[in-house]
Amino acid sequence: MSSILEEIETKIEGLKTATTKTNVGVVRETGDGVARIEGLSDVMLNEMIEFPNGVFGLALNLEETEVGAILLGETTKVSQGDEVKTTGKLLQVPVGKALLGRVVNTLGQPLDGKGPIKTDAFYPLEKIAPGVIKRRSVSQPVQTGIMAIDAMIPIGRGQRELIIGDRATGKTTIAIDTIISQARLNKAGEEGQIKDYRPLYCIYVAVGQKNSNVARALAVLEKEGAMPYTTIISAPASDTATNQYLAPFAGAAMGEWFMDNGMDALIVYDDLSKHAVAYRQVSLVLKRPSGREAYPGDVFYLHSRLLERSARLTEESGGGSVTALPIIETQAGDVSAYIPTNVISITDGQIYLETDLFYQGIRPAISVGLSVSRVGSAAQIKAIKQVAGKVKLDLAQFRELAAFAQFGSDLDAATKARLDRGQRIVELFKQKQYTPIPVEEQVAVMWAMQNGYIDPVPVERVKEFQLKLQDWLQTRKESLLTSIREKKQLDQEIESQLKTALDEFKITWR
Amino acid sequence: MKINKEIRQLSREMLRASFTDGQLDSGRIASLVDSLIARKPRNYIDVLKNYRRLLRLEVEKRRARIETASEVDREATSKVIENLKKRYGDDLATEFVVNPQLLGGMRIRVGSDVWDGTVRNRLEQLQQQL
Repeated sequence: MSSILEEIETKIEGLKTATTKTNVGVVRETGDGVARIEGLSDVMLNEMIEFPNGVFGLALNLEETEVGAILLGETTKVSQGDEVKTTGKLLQVPVGKALLGRVVNTLGQPLDGKGPIKTDAFYPLEKIAPGVIKRRSVSQPVQTGIMAIDAMIPIGRGQRELIIGDRATGKTTIAIDTIISQARLNKAGEEGQIKDYRPLYCIYVAVGQKNSNVARALAVLEKEGAMPYTTIISAPASDTATNQYLAPFAGAAMGEWFMDNGMDALIVYDDLSKHAVAYRQVSLVLKRPSGREAYPGDVFYLHSRLLERSARLTEESGGGSVTALPIIETQAGDVSAYIPTNVISITDGQIYLETDLFYQGIRPAISVGLSVSRVGSAAQIKAIKQVAGKVKLDLAQFRELAAFAQFGSDLDAATKARLDRGQRIVELFKQKQYTPIPVEEQVAVMWAMQNGYIDPVPVERVKEFQLKLQDWLQTRKESLLTSIREKKQLDQEIESQLKTALDEFKITWR
Repeated sequence: MKINKEIRQLSREMLRASFTDGQLDSGRIASLVDSLIARKPRNYIDVLKNYRRLLRLEVEKRRARIETASEVDREATSKVIENLKKRYGDDLATEFVVNPQLLGGMRIRVGSDVWDGTVRNRLEQLQQQL
């Protein structure tokens, strides 16, 4: 007991309680989550300001005689005539490994009831992105575990790849699959199954989502064992527009901590259309001039400064990276709307999901023609390059021929072969949700396809063939898979092993 | 109140014209207001409202409000005023208020600057830091 008293006494002695100069203002009007304040002559842009009752705000509009601020937290506690103080601080969030496995709000406060977050590191929400000197080009892969993506639209560490599509086309599923895949790889890396594996920590930022959707994502991640490597930042639809607007920046700050400490992070922004809508609301109630579709003039800068913070750093700067997977929801497939075109132009490529494909049963419903990764094969391991180099071309040709072949029944042998191959690739790329495929199995399956092992299989049984093959490889040919994983390329020895393995498998398959 | 550009410009011009030698001149202010009312330009009531607001802010910048928990003797009062005038100029108006809720000490507000040496403020700081 006495020690506690002593501790408190020393604390009190150490406190500074001298007369301090502060800068204050008076709330002139408040409502819709913003306050207009008279006074505050020394306030700085984006500075945190303190209202009575422990409410904080962010000064966004500095006008001649007034300051427009957005309120964080309980907006009903602020009333006209309240005195507001400047704090001289920027808004910051807790960062660090203590956040892994947690569900937090925009300010980094826990929402999961697992107690306080113990960390002493804080990062400001808004930070200038790393410059040219600190960056290097993207060369390490992010294995999403989704065959269509890893083969055709590879994503690298430090890349920004947009996931775009209509509602209910599987955008979030791709992101969740990627997170699950990272968790499995991280776990394998920890257990020493993968040599020199750099773990990739995931941050899932839910902006303007239904609470039920966030809960479902959380349940899936928990069930698949991905939560120990994941942080969820939740700013659901019921949250204030302010919190929805700031949530992606909080996610970026948490990701930057990993990058600055030489680690890798992946951030999913789900989704940036709702983020733009929240920012539009904040801007309109702050009476900022509106532009196209009533979005403020700086909505492009809003997204570009956010996504620019993903980077791959040089070895001298620690070699960390932040990868971003922003999600955009289109209306009736219109990619030429304002926000989609903005984000498409900012990112290093996009994965375009189509409703038609989704209802044809091609899931993930990735449109091969419209999806692209501007980083390209630099972000693939060599083995994947060897087996998937021509897949995109094959599929593009297949789609062209498929439309053409509907009209005539007589086809020459080459066209027929191309059509058959295309149909089988489409089948191979169908994949159930939450079942990422390890890269070595992807290589084996695609090698089988490239070398004609799948051609004799009827189209409707291709999926069955693939699953059985994967299962068989896992149980019987573990050493082969391990050597593909470790060598990361197909040499003659591995190819001959693959050949014997597939010949063996062909006998058992019926 | 929605203020358009015209209103803002006119009221700002009026404010600029209200000074003589860097100090607000009540005679000039009265004549400015009278001439505006006589001319009756468009939206002149809104102009006057906005002008009043700008004047109020200007007056507040040059007024010190000194709050204390109990009455302060004359010597201390004059010392405070002297110090404030040294810092803010001779045209500073002062106003003394007794506010027992401060518990002790003094709080001075000039424009949007505040010096807070009250016991209540210290207690609040302690509460926050502990």
